[in-house]
Amino acid sequence: MLQTPESRGLPVPQAEGEKDGGHDGETRARTASQERPKEELGAGREEGAAEPALTRKGARALAAKALARRRACRRMNRTVAELVQFLLVKDKKKSPITRSEMVKYVIGDLKALFPDIIARAAEHLRYVFGFELKQFDRKHHTYILINKLKPLEEEEEEEDLGGDGPRLGLLMMILGLIYMRGNRAREAQVWEMLHRLGMQPAKYHFLFGYPKRLIMEDFVQQRYLSYRRVPHTSPPEYEFSWGPRSNLEISKMKVLGFVAKLHKKEPQHWPVQYREALADEADRARAKARAEASMRARASARAGIHLW
Amino acid sequence: MQGSTRRMGVMTDVHRRFLQLLMTHGVLEEWDVKRLQRHCYKVHDRNATVDKLEDFINNINSVLESLYIEIKRGVTEDDGRPIYALVNLATTSISKMATDFAENELDLFRKALELIIDSETGFASSTNILNLVDQLKGKKMRKKEAEQVLQKFVQNKWLIEKEGEFTLHGRAILEMEQYIRETYPDAVKICNICHSLLIQGQSCETCGIRMHLPCVAKYFQSNAEPRCPHCNDYWPHEIPEVFDPEKQREAGISKSNKKSLRSRQH
Repeated sequence: MLQTPESRGLPVPQAEGEKDGGHDGETRARTASQERPKEELGAGREEGAAEPALTRKGARALAAKALARRRACRRMNRTVAELVQFLLVKDKKKSPITRSEMVKYVIGDLKALFPDIIARAAEHLRYVFGFELKQFDRKHHTYILINKLKPLEEEEEEEDLGGDGPRLGLLMMILGLIYMRGNRAREAQVWEMLHRLGMQPAKYHFLFGYPKRLIMEDFVQQRYLSYRRVPHTSPPEYEFSWGPRSNLEISKMKVLGFVAKLHKKEPQHWPVQYREALADEADRARAKARAEASMRARASARAGIHLW
Repeated sequence: MQGSTRRMGVMTDVHRRFLQLLMTHGVLEEWDVKRLQRHCYKVHDRNATVDKLEDFINNINSVLESLYIEIKRGVTEDDGRPIYALVNLATTSISKMATDFAENELDLFRKALELIIDSETGFASSTNILNLVDQLKGKKMRKKEAEQVLQKFVQNKWLIEKEGEFTLHGRAILEMEQYIRETYPDAVKICNICHSLLIQGQSCETCGIRMHLPCVAKYFQSNAEPRCPHCNDYWPHEIPEVFDPEKQREAGISKSNKKSLRSRQH
């Protein structure tokens, strides 16, 4: 299934061109180093046309170069594919992925090509799966995948064949509590709410497993929640706030809507939170517009490099 | 599939959501897959006609080709139910499990896999697997812990448990067939009819050839005197019934759309 024309005799320059053309559809990010072969080939072809016979030695050298290039290209494609799979599997567990992990498990000695590899992987993730690869911690080079598909309506959600429903519902309740309390909630308050829902931290729940583990380990580790010690408290108290992933994946307006529905009221019933949610929506719209503008700029810059 | 002559498919949000959900579930039965496909159309392209499932999947696979993965269709070994999973085309084997499990857990799986492949029935007893706990690579694992790890494998659909014995889940066979055939070429059993990897099946008592239960069902369908295709001796086992998706759905859990029961078979 992965056959490439290497098994045929002396490779012809045209084969290289065809192969690259075939990959056009899925990868738009290309480096300058991959453009150069085309230039060389173009020159070679012209020379061949002007002088009817390239020397045998020259032909062999050209063939060897073409073979080496194709090998490198194949290796690159392979590595990109492995990185895509690695990112997908890692993201399934919702733990952020670090650059060093990627280098250690996938990229290996192609480390110098990391920017190119990750750009191509990101493009595959976007086009094929509808995920955006986002670097959310520039200092520690950590990445997460964000789902770019439109979020589901309520009726549609039921048909989604299960998946993460109950856990996300629980997360929403906690995010709602945090938001309504001014973006911070003491640990005690969270457990009080869960008590009222019939949950005990260390008691196995048929839907959530061990709630304490789910919240403290899973949600915190997945960066949906942040857990911090409250300063100047003794005995020490801790509080929850929205984690960076929650800020990326869900909006204040959505959470307010969720809380409002729970109480059978309108979001406007809480004017302070409503105003804050509106401001948040405006911020997001601005950020989105900025991102789209810069993507368009980058796309047109890239288009300039392409020879076709 | 020759590279440049074949036109690569086009991905839309319908296909993307389908892929995402298939990945979430790991493996799905055919009728769940069809329901999933309809759901994706409903969400993203309400008015479009739903593609025939085979074409829909072939379209996606043509795009996935450059990523060395594909949506593969298989059949459960016990009763012939069609299943689908997203599998890795390159033989880096238990790679999908590798990021979910620790080194000693992976090694436990490998040991269980070997016992299953070597066994006559395709099943390895819990006791036999747990007795190998001392030989595991990585951190030392107690038997109690190993029992829970085996349950984790069952939950994640890598193993099936029946009365204290373990065999490979259809998903594992789909994912790892190539790896298993390359790693255990002498121990591996092959079905005489479909020539795929065989873990569970029936065997001829005279000449020893083996067949999957669904392959037996199809091969001997409405044959009053079943005979071994290789040595022509009388086939001594009970012939199972061919899988019928309509019957399956009627017996299945409610909540399904009643209309779908009358929908045409593929």
